[in-house]
Amino acid sequence: MLEPVLWLGPATLLILTMVVWPVIEMIRTSLTRVSSTGQSQGFAGVRNYTDLFAQGDLPGVLLRTLVWVVGVVTVTLVLSLGLAALLNSRFPGRRLVRWALIVPWASSVLMTALIWRWMLNNFYGVVNRLLMDLGVLDAPVNWLAKPGLALAAMMGVAVFVSLPFTSFVLLAGLQSIPAEVYEAARVDGAGPVRGYLGITLPLLRPSLVVAAIINVINVFNSFPIIWAMTRGGPGFASDTTTTYLYKLAFDNQSVGESAAMAVVNFGLILAVVLVYLRFVRRQEDTT
Amino acid sequence: MKRHLACLAGGLSLALALTGCGKGSSSDSGGSDGRTIRFVAAKYDDDTQAYWTALIKDFESANPGYRVNLEVVDWEQMDSKVKTYVQTKQEPDILNYNKFSDFARDGLVHKAQDVVSPKVLTDFLPLFRQKAQYEGTQYGLPFISSARLFFYNKDIFAKAGIDRPPSTWAEVEAAAKKIKQAGYIGLGLPLGPEEAQAEFQIWAMNNGGGWTDASGKWAIDQQANVDTLTYLRKLTKDKVTQPNPETTNRKDVFNQFAQGRIGMLNGAVFMRKGFIDPVDEKLNYGVAPLPSKDGSTHKTLGVQDYLVAFKKGDGSNKAAVKKFLDFFYQKENAAEFVSTEGFLSVTKSAGEVLSSDSRDAAYYKPFVDALSDAEFAPTDDPAWAAVDGAVKQRIGTAVAGGDPAKVLGEIQKTAQKGD
Repeated sequence: MLEPVLWLGPATLLILTMVVWPVIEMIRTSLTRVSSTGQSQGFAGVRNYTDLFAQGDLPGVLLRTLVWVVGVVTVTLVLSLGLAALLNSRFPGRRLVRWALIVPWASSVLMTALIWRWMLNNFYGVVNRLLMDLGVLDAPVNWLAKPGLALAAMMGVAVFVSLPFTSFVLLAGLQSIPAEVYEAARVDGAGPVRGYLGITLPLLRPSLVVAAIINVINVFNSFPIIWAMTRGGPGFASDTTTTYLYKLAFDNQSVGESAAMAVVNFGLILAVVLVYLRFVRRQEDTT
Repeated sequence: MKRHLACLAGGLSLALALTGCGKGSSSDSGGSDGRTIRFVAAKYDDDTQAYWTALIKDFESANPGYRVNLEVVDWEQMDSKVKTYVQTKQEPDILNYNKFSDFARDGLVHKAQDVVSPKVLTDFLPLFRQKAQYEGTQYGLPFISSARLFFYNKDIFAKAGIDRPPSTWAEVEAAAKKIKQAGYIGLGLPLGPEEAQAEFQIWAMNNGGGWTDASGKWAIDQQANVDTLTYLRKLTKDKVTQPNPETTNRKDVFNQFAQGRIGMLNGAVFMRKGFIDPVDEKLNYGVAPLPSKDGSTHKTLGVQDYLVAFKKGDGSNKAAVKKFLDFFYQKENAAEFVSTEGFLSVTKSAGEVLSSDSRDAAYYKPFVDALSDAEFAPTDDPAWAAVDGAVKQRIGTAVAGGDPAKVLGEIQKTAQKGD
């Protein structure tokens, strides 16, 4: 009688305290008037939400979040496919290359972002030095001060730190494809391109889906890269929703509005996850 | 994961982030005996930690049984750290910060008279004591003060053929152009998040503008302020400032000035101690009043930081807090902090100790003189925290892509929301 409780209890408790409770608390805060020192001043209705949607910067922030997530995840997946294929083929020193690929993963994201900030610095940065010595630039470029360039640079760093994980997921996928399938294809006269498109990619699909979804969630919630490199600035010109909600709370002192943004953020992620579940279920049905 | 990110968020350096997380999770360090207090101090420069460590050691050996747990936080992380501590009810017993009024409004901090002796209370200079009040009651304990004056590099001025520091905005513009032609950065203009509110106020108040109108209502979008930003925008577009003022922090231009790459800028009293001397003690520079639009009157920006003592549930911390604060405000201790960090004194007794030391008197005198009729940021208004945050994020964009009137309008909206 009590046995199911014994088995399900700990997990349920964990989910309730670690997932459900914070979500309830977040939604409650988004409906509360909170003073700048964090004191609750009663029910606010939807005021935090109307304030949030009245912010002139919000559309830009949302659009940038989309560019950020789609851009980083797409580039990461394409590059990782190449890297995984490379690591799967036999060549001398492969073990070393595999180890080397782990390095960006093992080092702290914050450190990587900080190092890039200094490398791109207008006054002292090594990137400007190098490009000027090579004659590519005449004067130093303030990379992180121009919203477009800054976003591109940060996306570069985000791709860099996402590559190891993604490559290894795809590599694992590649290794699970039996060699006989390729042999059969070769006997039937398929070339390398046909083999890749007809066998490798379809059989790699489960790994690709996993890699894509985990990356989408990670990149969407990514905070340290943007915070360390530009702080979302100048103004709000390189913010994503994640850094924006932080600024609402800590710079604008509007905790309630920030909570409203967090609820919106949560909704967006939830939508992505639901699409994912649907996608996976359909895939299970077809196989 | 979320929690992890939030921890990383606050700290820009890994070390700070890690210690921050550690502290956060070690819960209440107040101790139940009422003899252990927690003190969060702001990091003014590399000497800050050493000063407090030594002072606390002296305090603990003079008062057996009492303990002070120190945490020194970099100014760049201070705002988010304080906010996190206060909102999660992990306030320190004593905090060294630049705001106090919203704590006072929400009844989180002790009145000044409850945590220092009457002797200390009357020792504060009236100018600073007055700025430490919320609705007529003093809550903040004046800690240090700073004044801003115009710094210029005499060698660069000579090379550019300028014979005296500019007094009007037109002269600033002309001088900046000449300096640029001589191959240096004309004017250092830091409108990045670190201290944009101070830089803006310096220019705005010397154009008859400011944060509020005559009746004390927020008037951030007033015409004088729009004109100020339009002027600064023109300097930026003429490329006589350092590139991208909107992302340049104050410490960046102070460093560049110390390295002799910038011709002139709005400097601060601690610049000599904190920036110039460590890089180049022989830098040939002068100090002048802040330039104004028409050159007739020159206003100075004063800055004051505070200590505040947070209330703890049963009030058991009050005795220990008072002991420690009285210890700090002993004139030798307070004077040593001020001279270690290169600031100006907020107490009579420490000021006397300092002015008896004639080595530095010549450098500090113009700042002390300017302070007597300096203007301050409205830190006694509880809405200031939100305005301050909005200005730091936004104001720089007015000299880059944004439109001055629109940017100021956005900030005005934030200010009124906080009322």
